[in-house]
Amino acid sequence: MAVTRAAFVAAFGFLAVSASAHHSFAPYEAQLQLAMHGTVTGFEWTTPHIYIRLDAAGEDGEISNWLIECASPQILNRVGWRWNMIEEGDQISVVVSPLRNGEPAALLKAVRLADGSEYNNGGPAGPARIGFDGKPLAAAAAGGAR
Amino acid sequence: MRAKRICALTAAAMVVAPAVLAQPGYEIHGLNGAWERWPNRAAGLGSDATPPPEEIEVAPVPEPPLKADYLEPWRKEQAEVARLTEQGLPPANNYSACIADGMPTMMQGMFPMEVLETPGQITIIQEAYNQVRRIYFDEALPPPEQAEPLFHGHSVGRWEGDTLVVETVGIKDHVRFRDVPHSPSMRITERIRLVGDEFMVNEMTVTDPVYLTEPWTWSWAYRRFPDYRIQEYICENNLYYRDPELGYQRLRVE
Repeated sequence: MAVTRAAFVAAFGFLAVSASAHHSFAPYEAQLQLAMHGTVTGFEWTTPHIYIRLDAAGEDGEISNWLIECASPQILNRVGWRWNMIEEGDQISVVVSPLRNGEPAALLKAVRLADGSEYNNGGPAGPARIGFDGKPLAAAAAGGAR
Repeated sequence: MRAKRICALTAAAMVVAPAVLAQPGYEIHGLNGAWERWPNRAAGLGSDATPPPEEIEVAPVPEPPLKADYLEPWRKEQAEVARLTEQGLPPANNYSACIADGMPTMMQGMFPMEVLETPGQITIIQEAYNQVRRIYFDEALPPPEQAEPLFHGHSVGRWEGDTLVVETVGIKDHVRFRDVPHSPSMRITERIRLVGDEFMVNEMTVTDPVYLTEPWTWSWAYRRFPDYRIQEYICENNLYYRDPELGYQRLRVE
């Protein structure tokens, strides 16, 4: 193959779901976002995903222990999270997309900690489209603070 | 004896130039350091995207040139995966089971990678799944059919001017890029070179006389990620499992 200085054609993925995250996000309800407020019962800073366990009321008003999936430590370290920024007993607010199958689990879009600081869940999970008060956000403000 | 030689050569290298490692005849070619795949797709997968260099044109990986007997089944499988994913039932795969990419997928792995040039060897570490790939110089590639099947295979490199040419054989059957089947005769050839100081291009060529009608070629690009330190990645808490009835990626909610 001749080596030239001509254009190199760099390939990139077509919807390569498996190439941007550990798993597909398809089990989550992509179009639905919920704002929830509750008490942290666990914070697992682990690979392939970080999980927040949160006692909070869902759409039906019932308190459940929610399993909230965050991106990985590698991604979230790169967008400003720290391994010890959430602790059991913390009061936090989240914007999430719940599982389609109705189980109390959800994909995080944004989180606001007890001290008021806000974080998104990295790029692959997509931005929050509602605020922590449940109201629609202007597109530019979605995703919380960096 | 060995230690003494290394000491002497290290001293010599420091005097001569930092670009020369402690071994005669070996030159560093500038690949050392952290790289992110380019173009970026999302925040947290690397640093922010920069304007593309003029030499690099972005294009999708072409459809694999599978022989007719294999192409239609592959297309049907891809369509079925897309249909199930649309329904919220993405089929379980190696990735959701926390199994590494392997070759060639790891060369466009989802997280940054680190390249280490040392005498007689180039090592590539992809952060995702802690993948490590070792490319040896000055040795022959094993006959493909006799190579022990591995995730990253057996890789032998050589320099052709400023281009690093790497040939790889011996990839496990279930380690597939884009679900494309391959035989033990598959061979992956990479031509890797710098484009300016900030970018690197990898021209990939996959040949397989059993499955492909012609070489399957594309290029991947990387952008230098200065001062980045590769992080640990160990799948200790995979809550995803294969649904035993429907075979999709299911989250264990407890």
